[in-house]
Amino acid sequence: MRKFLAVLKREYIQRVRAKMFIVSTILLPVVMSLFGLVPAIILSIDAGGPMRVAVMDQTGKMYARLEEALASEETPEATDRGNPGPEMAGRAFKLEQVTSIGPDAAAQRSQLDERLRAKQLDGYLILPPDFMDHSRAEFFNNNPGDVLSRRILQRALNRAVREQRLVEAQVDPKTRQGLFQSVELESVKIGATGEERDSGGSFILVFAVGFIMYLAILMYGQIILGAVIEEKETRIAEILFSSVKPFTLMMGKLVGVSLVALTQLAIWATAFSVFALYGVNLLASRGMKMTSIPGIPFAHYVYFALFFLLGYFIYATIYALVGSMVTTTQEGGQLAMPIILILVVSFYLFLPVSRSPDSSFSFWVSMIPFTSPVAMLVRIVTQTPPFWQIALSLIIGFGTVILIMWIASRIYRVGMLMYGKRASIPEALRWARQA
Amino acid sequence: MAESDTTVQLDSVSKSFGEFTAVRKLSLTVRSGRVFGLLGPNGAGKTTTIRMIVNITAPDTGTIRLFGGHINSALQDRIGYLPEERGLYRRMKIVDQLRFFAEIKNIRRSDIEKRIDEWLARVKLPDWKNKRSMELSKGMQQKIQFITAVLHDPDLLILDEPFSGLDPINVELLKEIVLDLKRSGKTIIFSTHQMEVAEKICDDICLLNRSQKVFEGSLREIKSSFGRNVVAVRCEGGDGVLHDATLVSKLVQHADEAQALLAPGADAQVLLRRLIDSGAKIGKFEMVEPSLNDIFITKVTEHA
Repeated sequence: MRKFLAVLKREYIQRVRAKMFIVSTILLPVVMSLFGLVPAIILSIDAGGPMRVAVMDQTGKMYARLEEALASEETPEATDRGNPGPEMAGRAFKLEQVTSIGPDAAAQRSQLDERLRAKQLDGYLILPPDFMDHSRAEFFNNNPGDVLSRRILQRALNRAVREQRLVEAQVDPKTRQGLFQSVELESVKIGATGEERDSGGSFILVFAVGFIMYLAILMYGQIILGAVIEEKETRIAEILFSSVKPFTLMMGKLVGVSLVALTQLAIWATAFSVFALYGVNLLASRGMKMTSIPGIPFAHYVYFALFFLLGYFIYATIYALVGSMVTTTQEGGQLAMPIILILVVSFYLFLPVSRSPDSSFSFWVSMIPFTSPVAMLVRIVTQTPPFWQIALSLIIGFGTVILIMWIASRIYRVGMLMYGKRASIPEALRWARQA
Repeated sequence: MAESDTTVQLDSVSKSFGEFTAVRKLSLTVRSGRVFGLLGPNGAGKTTTIRMIVNITAPDTGTIRLFGGHINSALQDRIGYLPEERGLYRRMKIVDQLRFFAEIKNIRRSDIEKRIDEWLARVKLPDWKNKRSMELSKGMQQKIQFITAVLHDPDLLILDEPFSGLDPINVELLKEIVLDLKRSGKTIIFSTHQMEVAEKICDDICLLNRSQKVFEGSLREIKSSFGRNVVAVRCEGGDGVLHDATLVSKLVQHADEAQALLAPGADAQVLLRRLIDSGAKIGKFEMVEPSLNDIFITKVTEHA
């Protein structure tokens, strides 16, 4: 036990003290927030002011409606979809009515073309006289690549036409408003304790747990690989093995590096919560009402923690296994690629499992070690399975972790005795058996 | 045999890796308080033998007894092992590494700091305590590695090619330390193919070749059993006599003298008379003990 702790302590202290750790702890959140902010900032850059569009309304009744619809497109609360999405970043419009003078439309068009070329206009829209019947209009512009603006214009036209048709069908204003009213679907879960209102908060949490797991593996898998290879590359392995059992060494390394990962995650989580609390208070003081955190049973938080650890360790041990077979970090990097693939696949099981959490498919994927962390969490938040299933899944999972580490330590030892030869997969299997 | 007499005993030990047999039916006895030389050419099975003694790998057949008992991982703490394949953590400070190696050998915490300082002073590196090992020269690193093997005051010290790549001054320094340890009652297994070094510090030797033992015994006995059949000669002329195969089976020319190995049944007196008769001017003619190197080469070629 003391030897295990010595190995663990060395791994932990060496890594936490390293400049890399401090730099990455500070830098990653900065980089992440830049990734979040920069696209939003760039999209919101409004180059060239509002879009100047001339409208030749040959129906004679659409211009006002279009103007009104466009104005409501620009204020998000009024759109019927609730979530305005990235279209929000489209440019504002400045409309100009061109009264059509009956038969001389062609001349008028060439005049508009002139203005377009002279850049006095950004585009012009022609609503033909039969527009109300065929819903077909033409938009001439000098920048067909501006998809966003065209989409906003199209949506506004849609609304305008719909309104106009309803007016023409003599539908009264109140019914008209009712027709545009969107539906709110609230999902209510029937749990053992009765009805619980769940606005999907626990789902989001499962997703977050999965994502953090993915992040931790992505960042720390390679480090575990490197830690396992370190003694081979520095040729310390043989000295160590005259004092420490390979299994003790491997477990010490795995746990040591993992504690480093958890330390880093904890620092970020603390920083994030401080910011979040500060933000909530700030918004509250300005009179904004925050949606409250959905009521999640305490047991679920325990499960989140357990299955996060399980998922993390299962994938981390595979990195250790790969590390035991190779002699340099570069080789390991290539062999480790499929691991990420399995992880991503297990992530997609989210969908089928959440659709039918009590199917036998869901049962099996929540028992198989590589898919169980995500699958079981989804089952827990949708239709909590019996306790024995949760316990069994944890036992199988952590049992697998120990088993993989045991195999890895055997391969590691034989590999060292073979004078730093890299193991092929069948060789590795043979080594694990003979050692 | 009681523990006081024997530190390590191998009885008919074999180990193979797949098709390749690394050690075949090896029996040997390492007596307590002596320096035991495990000698042999590259690939003879020395390292595999040592690895079985320190419990890194287990023999396929045969038994190994250590300190009078069966080997187990608890006994590992009483062994100090400096493998031929050795290194240090590049980015760790020397003192941190030594502390780590001390901890995995179960040294009492209160003793660790004192011992580290003592040993650093002894190998003349006290100023390097807080440096990272990547800043040390290769020779310095080797001395630090040596400390990792002796820091926990082991009863059995196993050194695999400990002096390779060291300058003569440091070889002398480490050799003195090894002999000091022997005087304080430690048992030392010394594996090398550098015969000149082995000759100076080993009490007993075991020669391995091609996975098998060629001979084992005290250095003294082996040398005397070989007899004095080597003549150191320095003379002008007489080349024909020295190249006579009935008298000299092998002639090795050194810078200023030659070593002649007498042919079986040949008499040194006859050789001397023939040289005088041939009119050679003799500067030196001396019967010498065979060097361990000669014994090694003779035995290995005989065995092959």
